[in-house]
This record gives sequence, C-alpha cells and structure tokens, in this order.
Amino acid sequence: MSALADKLAGYLNGKMPDAAGLRVAGFKRIAGGSSRETYAFDLEWSEAGAHRARPLIMRRDPTGGLLVSSREREFKVLEAMNRAGLKVPPPLFLELDPAILERPFFIMERAPGRTSAGAFPATEPVSLRDRIAHDFIVGLARLQALDHRALGLGWLGEPAGLDGPARLQPAHWRDVYERDRMNERHPILEAAFAWLDANPVAADRIVIVHGDYRSGNYLYDDDHGIIAMLDWEMCHLGDPMEDLGWATMMFWGREELAGGLMEREAFYRLYERMCGCTIDRRRLFFYQVLGNAKMAVICLTGIRDYVEGRTSDAVMPLLEILLSPLLDDLANQLKLI
Amino acid sequence: MLRPALSEILFGIQRTIIETLAPELSSPYAQSQAGSVAMMVGFVAASMASEPALAAAEVKGLASTIRAIHKLRDPALLADPQLKAALRAARRAATSRPPDRRAMEAAIAELAKALVLGRLSDPVAKEVRGYLRANLERIRSFVAPGLFPR
Repeated sequence: MSALADKLAGYLNGKMPDAAGLRVAGFKRIAGGSSRETYAFDLEWSEAGAHRARPLIMRRDPTGGLLVSSREREFKVLEAMNRAGLKVPPPLFLELDPAILERPFFIMERAPGRTSAGAFPATEPVSLRDRIAHDFIVGLARLQALDHRALGLGWLGEPAGLDGPARLQPAHWRDVYERDRMNERHPILEAAFAWLDANPVAADRIVIVHGDYRSGNYLYDDDHGIIAMLDWEMCHLGDPMEDLGWATMMFWGREELAGGLMEREAFYRLYERMCGCTIDRRRLFFYQVLGNAKMAVICLTGIRDYVEGRTSDAVMPLLEILLSPLLDDLANQLKLI
Repeated sequence: MLRPALSEILFGIQRTIIETLAPELSSPYAQSQAGSVAMMVGFVAASMASEPALAAAEVKGLASTIRAIHKLRDPALLADPQLKAALRAARRAATSRPPDRRAMEAAIAELAKALVLGRLSDPVAKEVRGYLRANLERIRSFVAPGLFPR
C-alpha cells in the first residue's frame, strides 16, 4: 500500500509544480465503487508559504470486475457535470498511461458524507429520508434538463431517433449476457430480452442518462441532504425513463418505498412536478424490466470474473444471491409464473 | 463419524474470521472484505448439504416438464419449427443417461421466450409456468442462508 502511495505522490509532484513538500497522507483503500479500486487520501503541500491540504479519492481500473468501462469516459462526464453545476465530486487528474500506477486512474475531490449499500436505510430519521427523496428527484430532473450538446457530450453517442434507446440498451445488455453467461441458460432473463425486443418504446426526448442513478450512489449528511452523486461510468444518452425506471426498481427499494425513500406513486408525482411532465407508464415499465435484466447481467459479469480468477473481491460471490430477487421481479413483471 | 463435519469446520472458520481476524485488521477495506468472506463461508456451510438435492430436483423438474409438454403433442408448438426443434432436443436430453441438464435448460429458455411472447397454447404455457415457479422456489431456498445469514 505504501509503495502505491509513494508512486502516487511522485505522480502528483509532477502535476503540481508549484507545490512544495507534497505528501500523500492516510492512504487507504475503501469499500464501495465495486467496479473500481477506490482509495482515499489527504494531499498536503506548501504553496506560496501557506500549508494546503485537500481530501482526495483515487479510482483505478481493477484487474477484473463488474464492467469494462473507460476511465476517460467517466472523467469527462464528471468534468461536464461539474461545469453544469450538478452535485458531483470535482474531477482533478486523469491518467491513462499504465506505466504510472499499472492501470488507468483518475483523481477527484473526496466529498464528505455517508452512503448506503442499497436502499436508503430504515434507521435514518423520516425527516432526513424526505429531504433526500426531494434532493434525489430534483437532481434527476436537473440532469435531464441539461443540453448534452452544449456540454460537449455528443461523443457519448446520440441514439439514431427517439426509438433508438429502446433498441440499443437491451441489445447491449443482451450482448453482455451472451458473453458472460458461462454456457448457462437463464430462461427468465432470456424471456425478458425477448419481451423487450417485442415491446419497444419511443422516447419523447434524448437526455443524459446517469445509468446507475439510485440509492447507494450518492453521499449525504444530516445538514446538507445529498452532497454528491457518484459512479458515472455507465453514463450515456437515452430516454429519461431509463434512470427513473432504474431508480424505482424493487431491487433498490425497501417494501413500498422507491429507493427506500418515498412511496412509489408519491415519488412519481414529485418527479412529474419537478420535470413539468407526465410519466409515460408504459415506457417506465419497459425501463423497469430492462433495469432488472441489466442488473442480473451485471451480476453474471461479476460472477464470471470471480470464477475465472480475474478478481478476488469477496463481494463478487454474493452476486449469486442477488440474482434470486431479480429473477423473481422479472417473472412477476412479465407474468411468467 | 469424524467431527468436526465439513459444515462445522466452515462455521468455525466464519467465527475465526469474525472474532479473531477482523478485530486485528486496521484497514476498513480489509474489515469489509473479511465481513464478506465470513458471510460467504457461512452461506457455503448452510447450503452445501442441500446443493446436491436441489440440483437433482432441478434436473427432475426439467425432465418431467419436457415429458409433459411432449405428451401434449400440441399442434401449435409442433407447427413452429424452432419450438419443435427445441422440444425434440429437449426430449433427447431428458432421456439420455444421465440427463443433459444444459440441453434441457436451453429448451426451456426457448419455451420461456415463446411464453412471454404469447406463442404458447394454454396447456403448454401451464407446464412452462409450473417449471419456472418451481425453479424460482428452488433458487430462493438455496440462497436463503445468504439472504438471511446466521
């Protein structure tokens, strides 16, 4: 661990020529960000005679993990979201040269606050839960109101036509399923992809889609509500119902509370008020089905990496257990049982 | 009988991780990993005895579903070349010794796709739904020790 910290200090010395006595302090790996290695540290230095310190996070590609995604993509999205004034940790340095720390990485500010493993915890006060629910939905509405072209995010790949998202996303996740199923067949999952193909929906507009917008992916505290939205690696352009569908899946919720935050219909009504729109329930259902299928495939990807020895992360075998509620939800959604 | 039994060893390893190793770890990440390892060791200990029986029940469920669908000689199914071929392959898989589980699952996957698209007659759909229900129940009972760890 100290060898990694030393290399990081050497790298940052090169990036900050005006900094003197630069030191990486308290370098430690932290849990979460399960598709990346995530390290927290404090950077300390002197500049123009003044002592400076900054709490930072380093995220590095794993040797194997849940998803193959680009550090550069994630970093550039964070930069754009930061420019747009969204609540995200400010990104600082991106390094793609594997010679520096063996694998691409980026560094961003470490935002304060706490997060949950999944659904917003039942142990938190109701008043805080209500505030977080409001912040969560407002954050989604603000994201979906952004002009991706004005932010220079056209490189994310604009779907061809308003019916593009409903073709592209299921096709992508079906391809990942075929690659990662390890010769096993999953009838309910395959039925879900067949249903998605046979029941396409058309978006009413193309927006920036976070791709993993849910409880468990934001930092919050008692005084500020949601402080920062995390994990932008699956960001793409698509249908606004995709993020709403993902966030309101039963999998991320608790009992009748979407995301563990708010009763589902109240959640939808608040979203409609914030967006000035009416939810197309057929489209929402499509993306809730896609969400369950996508999460099941993400589990299979992690399981495959674990079985084939590309990761030793002890969280990965737990994914087998998570498949059960996902398959149950799909079977119920599609009336297969 | 030799003691400790395998499951008792695993539960003991779980206790070692929780009571002896984890308190010695200063890194929060290592503590988190130790917690995950302890949970999985407990899951294996609780589930290993049931795994062979569940696997056998799954093979039995697949084979009996395929036999039942074959007996229906459903005209709509037999008129669909893809489903007919899947059912034929499934019959061979079900009657081979030992039964070919993967081939049977492949056939059920094709039938599940047809089910969700409304291409199955009611009697065939009933058999496929029955299998899927039982399959989900078997999965649920297998992972229950992981969802509700001791």
